[in-house]
Amino acid sequence: MFGDSGEGVNVEDSSVAQQPSTSGTGVESQSALRLVGITKRFPGVLANDRVSLDVRKGEVLGLLGENGAGKSTLMNVVYGLQRPDEGQIVVNGKEVEIRSPQHALELGLGMVHQHFMLIPDMTVAENVALAPSALPGLSRLKEVEREVDELSRRFGLQVDPCATIQDLTVGARQRVEILKLLYRGADLLILDEPTAALTPAEWHELSRFLRGMADQGRSVIFITHKLDELFGLVDRCTVLRDGRVVDTVNIGDTDKPALARMMVGREVTLRVERPIVPAGKTVLEVKNLSLEDEEGRLVLDDINFEVHEGEVFGVAGVAGNGQSELVDCLIGLRNPTNGGIHLDGELLTAQDPATFTAAGGALVPEDRHREAVALELSVLDNMLMKEYQSSRYSTRGVINFDAAREHADKLVRDYDVKTPNTDVPVRMLSGGNQQKLVLARELSRDPRLVIAFQPTRGLDVGAIEFVYGELNDKKKAGGAVLLISFELDEIFTMADRFAVMVGGRFREILEGGKADPERVGLLMGGAEVAA
Amino acid sequence: MSRARARLAGGGTDFVLSVCVAMAALLVAMIFVVAAGVSFSRGASAFVDGAFGSQLNLAGTLAKMVPLTLVALGWIVVFKAGRFHVGFPGQILIGGLLVSVVALKIHLPAGIHLPLTILAGAVGGALFAGIAAWLWAKRGVNEILSTLLLNLVAVQILAWWVRGPFHDKTTPLPLTAPLPNTSRWPELLVNTDLHWDIVLVPVVAGAISFLLARTLFGFRTRLVGAGEQVARHAGISPEGVGTRAILLSGALAGLAGASLVIAGSTAPMGEDFGSNYGFTGIAVALLARNSPIASIPAALLFAALEQGGGVMEGTVGISSSLVDFIQGLMIVLVLAATTILYLLRRRHRASRGAGPRKQPAPKPELEPVR
Repeated sequence: MFGDSGEGVNVEDSSVAQQPSTSGTGVESQSALRLVGITKRFPGVLANDRVSLDVRKGEVLGLLGENGAGKSTLMNVVYGLQRPDEGQIVVNGKEVEIRSPQHALELGLGMVHQHFMLIPDMTVAENVALAPSALPGLSRLKEVEREVDELSRRFGLQVDPCATIQDLTVGARQRVEILKLLYRGADLLILDEPTAALTPAEWHELSRFLRGMADQGRSVIFITHKLDELFGLVDRCTVLRDGRVVDTVNIGDTDKPALARMMVGREVTLRVERPIVPAGKTVLEVKNLSLEDEEGRLVLDDINFEVHEGEVFGVAGVAGNGQSELVDCLIGLRNPTNGGIHLDGELLTAQDPATFTAAGGALVPEDRHREAVALELSVLDNMLMKEYQSSRYSTRGVINFDAAREHADKLVRDYDVKTPNTDVPVRMLSGGNQQKLVLARELSRDPRLVIAFQPTRGLDVGAIEFVYGELNDKKKAGGAVLLISFELDEIFTMADRFAVMVGGRFREILEGGKADPERVGLLMGGAEVAA
Repeated sequence: MSRARARLAGGGTDFVLSVCVAMAALLVAMIFVVAAGVSFSRGASAFVDGAFGSQLNLAGTLAKMVPLTLVALGWIVVFKAGRFHVGFPGQILIGGLLVSVVALKIHLPAGIHLPLTILAGAVGGALFAGIAAWLWAKRGVNEILSTLLLNLVAVQILAWWVRGPFHDKTTPLPLTAPLPNTSRWPELLVNTDLHWDIVLVPVVAGAISFLLARTLFGFRTRLVGAGEQVARHAGISPEGVGTRAILLSGALAGLAGASLVIAGSTAPMGEDFGSNYGFTGIAVALLARNSPIASIPAALLFAALEQGGGVMEGTVGISSSLVDFIQGLMIVLVLAATTILYLLRRRHRASRGAGPRKQPAPKPELEPVR
């Protein structure tokens, strides 16, 4: 590729100088973790091909790459979950063979996973005390509480050691994960796409903390496929593509388009053009929608909005503010306490997803693996899921697999789903291709309304582009799209109008082109305090 | 890879795996036979003779296949729907109980009496399974617990049945009156245990295979089994599908009960005709790796073990509890092999298709057994 297999550190050394360092003892030139020529093969696939990189003490290194570029495999190698076939791992100048995550932690390497490893009904201190190596008795818990408190103060990570995990926000849980690692002596933190569900405020706090870590002479590897997050945080960035290091660049010497090119190997349009289509008739009308949960709390509070033909209506907001409940009510999985949902003027009374589908509704669900696809079933079965009862695919209770197969083959072609054939289980497909399958199934039915809930979650740039393109095509064809997203960028890119959802209410409905991101961020975050 | 080959490769691995497991279990068992002082060849030939050696023994093996296959199919149906119940012993007994009612209380010519009696068995099993299904769907009671306990209830009901209302007063034993020949499966081989109910094995296995693979019912069942939330989003009620699967599975167990009563060697019905078939049938399904068709050879193997083991005890003096040991060993090996295969496949999967899939973060829970 770039002949980068020897030393990954072929870029200028000036990077650290840009960042103020408090230690001032020259540690910034020392390497905290160095990978030399790491190769990891799985039968038939080279997941990592002579990957070399170097993290210095006192720096934040970005690790950028699309899904499937080899980031996770590389980090599994570093974290002792997988053994490399070739190459060396050098920690603090000593070559090591990392046997297990626990061993990695003993060497000072701590990993914050995308999915938190916390026990929800235990307190912060109890979770921190649950070290894999030593289980301190309850008598030590007070001590742990004090130490956690001290650590959180020292690093500026606000966490109450006595709080129970399940009462904490996602951001706070993440802080607990980090504290847990610091408590156990980690001085190199690896964060695997840590920003998925953070508010802008929480992201700023995390970013500030990570800089602080670096300034104290510790190191951070920040794994992401989002370009925006790199600037202002990392010192240098290593870009992976197809298992190989494309380059390691000083963040001050590059820009987003250049990084994007390196990551995907071609030019990408990072901003999707939002087509302006004259809005037509009302497709979805929601009036006075309210929902109480089992404990009688109001989780949806008097929601009113309309989505028209040729319109993308967005719902912005931080996760857990009633978005899931709103979608459940719209598709008929839950019965609203009050209010009405009209699709093309018809009141949806029967509370049943089949009715929603029959009325011309389509859904790209939030949780792909739980709600959208059956991982163990074939591509064919998954394509058939919403139409299996149609007379085209069955006669007298027996499925006509020839027709179904023809249909599935066509969808796979039309939507460019990369799969060996339609008989393989869906779990064999990459996340992007699974999502293409879902879009194919939902959009090919020519629905009147498409509800897209976090439709680009976990996807790489190419797949995101595809999803946006499909949704915009739907809009241009006169369909109505309801886009619910926790990522403000997505709302700004796609929505013609959008609401900010906080605490089960629509705070305000704004025009897509004109809204001020700062204000929207305040609306989203400000109410989080209130909620 | 072509479609056909892809499918064959999957099924082929399963088949090879099951054969290996069975061979391994038999070999280990033979170690014990040899340790007990019987030579390998004598032990093996005694076993093979016992299972297949004479017309009588072969008939006994084939007769035992019927309830084993039917229970295995019952397990496969609920398993595909993502439900696990272990109520087969109870459903067999209650199936038999209803069989005795129709057989003894209704007088009809054979052409009508027999089908009605068989139907009664299926209905009995389904009704008894229905209790567990209702408790699960409407009250959220775990179906494993309810069926396990209901098995004990069924045992008590049957003990009362053959001593109380249906007791044959001419005998002190807990038996019903002899069931009339009009209600019994005719013999296929005269003076053996083999009756015409053996035709149920291919017919029902084929029907269940078709039902699961090709029909809307099967599609819904597989979808619910693959993920309740996905099914719900596709407009399918997991409770409805689960209930139907449990009922069908109970009906199959009841059918097995009917065979045990009206295709058995004795004309009266006792209280212990269920024997171990209700649980051994689950082991058959496990060895068949939940394939309806593969449950036929798997049932043959387990039936041969039962039959051959029993005979072996008589001829070379090896306790037939060795058979229980082999069966237990096979279950353990199947589960272990399944897990190992799953891990191998997962590793293999990472290397397939367009590129390495994003590895999910390791979760603290145990990996589910597939």
